[in-house]
Amino acid sequence: MPYLGSEDVVKELKKAMCNPHIQADRLRYRNVIQRVIRHMTQGLDMSSVFMEMVKASATVDIVQKKLVYLYMCTYAPLKPDLALLAINTLCKDCSDPNPMVRGLALRSMCSLRMPGVQEYIQQPILNGLRDKASYVRRVAVLGCAKMHNLQGDSEVGKWGPWVNELYSLLDQDPICGNCLKGRLEELKQEGGPILPFVFPLSYRISKLDQWGQGEVLNFLLRYQPRSEEELFDILNLLDSFLKSSSPGVVMGATKLFLILAKNFPHVQKDVLVRVKGPLLAACSSESRELCFAALCHVRQILHSLPGHFSSHYKKFFCSYSEPHYIKLQKVEVLCELVNDENVQQVLEELRGYCTDVSADFAQAAIFAIGGIARTYTDQCVQILTELLGLRQEHITTAVVQTFRDLVWLCPQCTEAVCQALPGCEENIQDSEGKQALIWLLGVHGERIPNAPYVLEDFVENVKSETFSAVKMELLTALLRLFLSRPAECQDMLGRLLYYCIEEEKDMAVRDRGLFYYRLLLAGIDEVKQILGSPKSDPSLGLLEDQAERPVNSWASDFNTLVPVYGKARWATISKLQRTERHGPELPNPASFATSGPLIPEENKERIQELPDSGALTLVPNHQITAECFEKTWLSLKVAHQQVLPWQGAVHPDTLQMALQVVNIQTIAMSRPGAQPWKAYLSAQDDSGCLFLTELLLDREHVEMQVSVKQNEARTETLSSFISVLETVIGTIGDIK
Amino acid sequence: MIGGLFIYNHKGEVLISRVYRDDIGRNAVDAFRVNVIHARQQVRSPVTNIARTSFFHVKRSNIWLAAVTKQNVNAAMVFEFLYKMCDVMAAYFGKISEENIKNNFVLIYELLDEILDFGYPQNSETGALKTFITQQGIKSQHQTKEEQSQITSQVTGQIGWRREGIKYRRNELFLDVLESVNLLMSPQGQVLSAHVSGRVVMKSYLSGMPECKFGMNDKIVIEKQGKGAADETGKSGKQSIAIDDCTFHQCVRLSKFDSERSISFIPPDGEFELMRYRTTKDIILPFRVIPLVREVGRTKLEVKVVIKSNFKPSLLAQKIEVRIPTPLNTSGVQVICMKGKAKYKASENAIVWKIKRMAGMKESQISAEIELLPTNDKKKWARPPISMNFEVPFAPSGLKVRYLKVFEPKLNYSDHDVIKWVRYIGRSGIYETRC
Repeated sequence: MPYLGSEDVVKELKKAMCNPHIQADRLRYRNVIQRVIRHMTQGLDMSSVFMEMVKASATVDIVQKKLVYLYMCTYAPLKPDLALLAINTLCKDCSDPNPMVRGLALRSMCSLRMPGVQEYIQQPILNGLRDKASYVRRVAVLGCAKMHNLQGDSEVGKWGPWVNELYSLLDQDPICGNCLKGRLEELKQEGGPILPFVFPLSYRISKLDQWGQGEVLNFLLRYQPRSEEELFDILNLLDSFLKSSSPGVVMGATKLFLILAKNFPHVQKDVLVRVKGPLLAACSSESRELCFAALCHVRQILHSLPGHFSSHYKKFFCSYSEPHYIKLQKVEVLCELVNDENVQQVLEELRGYCTDVSADFAQAAIFAIGGIARTYTDQCVQILTELLGLRQEHITTAVVQTFRDLVWLCPQCTEAVCQALPGCEENIQDSEGKQALIWLLGVHGERIPNAPYVLEDFVENVKSETFSAVKMELLTALLRLFLSRPAECQDMLGRLLYYCIEEEKDMAVRDRGLFYYRLLLAGIDEVKQILGSPKSDPSLGLLEDQAERPVNSWASDFNTLVPVYGKARWATISKLQRTERHGPELPNPASFATSGPLIPEENKERIQELPDSGALTLVPNHQITAECFEKTWLSLKVAHQQVLPWQGAVHPDTLQMALQVVNIQTIAMSRPGAQPWKAYLSAQDDSGCLFLTELLLDREHVEMQVSVKQNEARTETLSSFISVLETVIGTIGDIK
Repeated sequence: MIGGLFIYNHKGEVLISRVYRDDIGRNAVDAFRVNVIHARQQVRSPVTNIARTSFFHVKRSNIWLAAVTKQNVNAAMVFEFLYKMCDVMAAYFGKISEENIKNNFVLIYELLDEILDFGYPQNSETGALKTFITQQGIKSQHQTKEEQSQITSQVTGQIGWRREGIKYRRNELFLDVLESVNLLMSPQGQVLSAHVSGRVVMKSYLSGMPECKFGMNDKIVIEKQGKGAADETGKSGKQSIAIDDCTFHQCVRLSKFDSERSISFIPPDGEFELMRYRTTKDIILPFRVIPLVREVGRTKLEVKVVIKSNFKPSLLAQKIEVRIPTPLNTSGVQVICMKGKAKYKASENAIVWKIKRMAGMKESQISAEIELLPTNDKKKWARPPISMNFEVPFAPSGLKVRYLKVFEPKLNYSDHDVIKWVRYIGRSGIYETRC
C-alpha cells in the first residue's frame, strides 16, 4: 500500500487529469480515474482531486460516470462546497433520455452525505417517482428513504404527500413494492403511517425476490392485527414462506408467525414443528456460516422446547473437517437435546470428541458431558473417570473442573468423584485445574485417603507457585482439611501460614494468611463455625436448569443478532451503542444516564415536554455560584409565592435529578429529614432572565411553600416557570 | 441493514471497499484486518463484533468478504447475500481470486452499485444483471432506445427472470442432477449419519415464454398416482424416494406444488438452479470403507483398508481418492495396494490412495505399515477419520427424472421438438469413516 509518498501520487494524478491530451483520449482518461478509485479503495486520501473529478463527470461514458459518482459519494462529506458544484451535473443527468443514466444520477445524488443536500434532491425524487422507467422509480423510492435518514425529523418533508405518492405507486406498479420495503424500514423509526401498506404488500409478497420478501416480513412485524380473523388471514397468506428456498426468508417468516400468534401457544408450537425441516437443512448445509447462524437459532428454540430436535440428534454430530465454531455450537445443541432415549448415543459421541486434537474442542466436549451429568449423573461420571486414565493435561484439568461443579450440584456423586481423584495431581498444570483440585481435596478431604499428602506436595512447592489464586485456594483447603484431619495437617498448615505471612509478596494472599492465623487464635470452634459451610447445594442446580422459557420471551429476538451473540453479550453491545448514539446530543450524558432510570418513563416524558409548551426555554448549562446566588437572592423581592401539596418525606436526590432534567439547578439543600427542610434552586432562560427559588417544607410534611424571585419582571415567563416547577414537584410527590 | 462491504486479500489489503451508510467509517476497514485477518488463532465465529460493529465474513480461497453493519440485522439474510455476491462475481469472471478481483475492480464496483442500494439488497439475478453490466463495460451505448427501455423494464419487470422475445434455432435443454452424499460411519460399520443434499440445475435454450413441467419419482406423487393402478404401487413404491425438504427457484409456482405437488415454471434463459433438496432415507452409499488399524508395539502401526463399491456393475465411479491419516510421529510408510496408486504425503500426515476408475460391486484393498518414531509424548493419537472423495454417474438419493415437458402456446414448437439431456452426478461431500 503506497502510504508513503502518497502526496506524489496525488500530485501526479492531478496533473494527469488536467492534461488536455489525456482528457481527449477517452481510454486514458478513464484509466486515470480508475487509478484514483484504486487509491481511494486502499485508504489514500484522494479528496484533493475533487475539482478535477467533478469535471470528469461531464462525459458520455457511463462507466466513467459511475466511477466519478462513486468518488463523489465518498468524499462529499469532506468537501461539501465543491460537491455543490457537482449537483448541477447530477441534476442534468436526472433528465437524461437514458433511464440507466437517470437512475444512476438520482441514486448518487441521494447518497451524497452532506448537509443541505435535501433541498436539491427533493424535486428530482418526486420526478423520479413519476418516471416512466421502473428502474428509475425504484431508485427514487430508496431515495425517499435516504432523504428521510438525512433530514431526521426536520420539517421539510412531512410524510403526508410522500405517502400518497408511494401508495399510488404501489397501485400502478406492483414490482416497485420490491424496494418500497427499504423506505418503510426507515419509516419505522418515525412511527409513520404503515397501515395503508400492509395489505397490498402482503398480497404481492410472493412476486418479490428473496430480499424483498425478507424485508416485507420484517416490516409486517410492526402491524398489530385488529381481530383474530385478520390475524389468521395474514398467517394463511404467508404460510408458504415457512418453506421458502431461502433460509433467511424462512427465519423471517418464523419470527413473524411467532410474534403475531403470541396469544396462541398452539399455533406457535405448530409453526416451530413446521420449520424444523428447513432449519435442519440449513444446519447441515455446506455453507458453513449459514449453518452457524441456523445452529444458534436451534439452540434458541431448544430453550423453550427441549425435546424439539431430540429425534434428530444425529444431525448434530460433528464431522472432522467442520470449522471450530460449528463444532462448538453442535456440542452445545447436543447437550441440550439429550433425553432418555438418546443419552447413550450422545454420550458415546461426546466421548469421542474428548480426545480431539484441538484442546479447546476437547474441553468443550468435557464440559458438555458435565452439563448432561446434572441429569444423568452415573453414566457421565463414569465416562469422565475413564478420561482421567488418558493422563493428558488438558483433559484432566477440564475433568477436575467439571467434577468440582458437579459435586456442588449433585451430592450423590461425591463418592465416585472422590475415588477418581487420586493421581490427578500429576497431570494438572494450569491455575483453573489446580484450584478445582485443591478445592475438592479441601472440602471432601475426609473421604480421600491421600488428600493430606497431595496438599503437602502443593505446600512444598508453594514458593514456585505462580498463580496467587491457587495459593488462596490452598490456604482455605488446608484449613478445612485441618478441621477434619488435624493430626496429618497441623504441621504443614503451620508451615504454609508461616510462608504466607513472612515471605509472600502478594498482599491478598498475605492478608488471607493473617486472617486465618487470627481466626485460629480465636479458637477451633470459631473456625469450625466459620469454615464449616455446606458442601453442596442441589437447589442451585434447579435454578441453573432454568425451567422451560416461554416462546414469547425470545420471539422478538428471533432472526436477529441476539441468538448469534448470546443475550448477555448483545445487551452490553447495544447498551454501549445507545449511549454512543445519544452521547453528543446531550450536554451531560453521564448525569442523564444516572437520572434516567430513576424517573418512570411516562413521567419523564411529561417533564421533557413541558419546557417546550410555554414560551419559556431554560438554558441547560446555567451555572451560578452559591455566593452569587445569595447576593442576588437578598437583593430581590419575592415575585411569586405559592403553596403546593406534598406528602411523605423528601428524597433530595430524586428531586435534584428531576429538576436537572428540566434544567433547574439546585444550589443548596437540607439533609433529608431536617426540620424545617429547605432547598434553593436557580435557573436561567434564553433571554438571560434569572429565576431564584426557595422551597420550604413545613413540619407536618403536607405542604411545600415555593417562593420565586426574578431579576427582570416578566409575568408570562414567570407563570410558565412556576408551572414547570409545579409539575416536577407534583410528579415527585406522586411517586413517594 | 448492510452498512458497507469490504473485500480483502489474505494479507489484509483492501481490494474493494464500498460504504453505504454513514455510521460505517474508514476505521472499520482496519479493525477487521487487525482483529480477524491478522489474528493468530483460527476463526472463532463468522460473525465478529468489534467496537459495536458486526462483521459478517466469508472466505473464498484466500479472499475475505466482509459485510459490515451497526444494526441488529438477521444473520441468515446477510450470509445469503454474501453467497449470492460470490455467485454473481463467479458468473462474471470465474474463480474468486485476488488476481481476478484486481482485474475486474471496476466491474465489481458497478455490480455493488446495482445489487446493493443504501444497504438493501436489490436485483441479484445474474441473468438480469448481465444484460446491462458486461465485462467490457456497459452495453447501452451501442443499443437503440427500445432495447434500453426493454432492459430497464426487465430489471424490475413482472417476470424478473426472463425477458420476452428470446429466439433459438434449436430448442435445447440440459438437466443436471447434482448430488453430494455425506456420511459419517462408526468403525463398526454403523451409519451414524448420512444425508444427500442435491440440486437440479437446468440450462435452457428455449424460444419464447415456455411453460415447463418437471416430474420426478417423489414418493408422495407416485403414491397418489398409484392409487389408480393398485398393482403398480408395489413396484414403483420401491423406486420412489422420500424427500425431506426441498426448495425451488423463484420461477416455480409454489401454490401448485403445495396443492398438486407438481413443479411447473417458466424458466430463466440460460443456467439456473431449479431445485434444491435433501434426503436422509434409503440412501445408496456408493462406497463402504472397512478400516482395520492394529498397533504393534509402540513404534509400529498396521493399517488395512478395504473399499467396496456398492452399485450396478455396469457403472463406473471416477476420481476416487481415499485419505488415510497417519500419526504425527510417522517416520516411514510402506504401502501395498492392488489397484491405483498410493503415496504417503508427509506434509499432509496422510496416505493418499487414488484410483482412476472402479466398476460397481468390486472391492479393493490397501495395506500399509507405518513406522513411528518413539516419543515421550503421552498424548494418544486421536485417530482422525478416513475420508473419501469420488464421483459416480448416478444419484445416490435414488432420484430419477420422470419427465420434463415443455409447452409454448404462442410459438409453433412442441414438446417433441425440444432436445433434452439429462445427466446424474453424485459426488462425495463429507464422507468419513472413523477408525
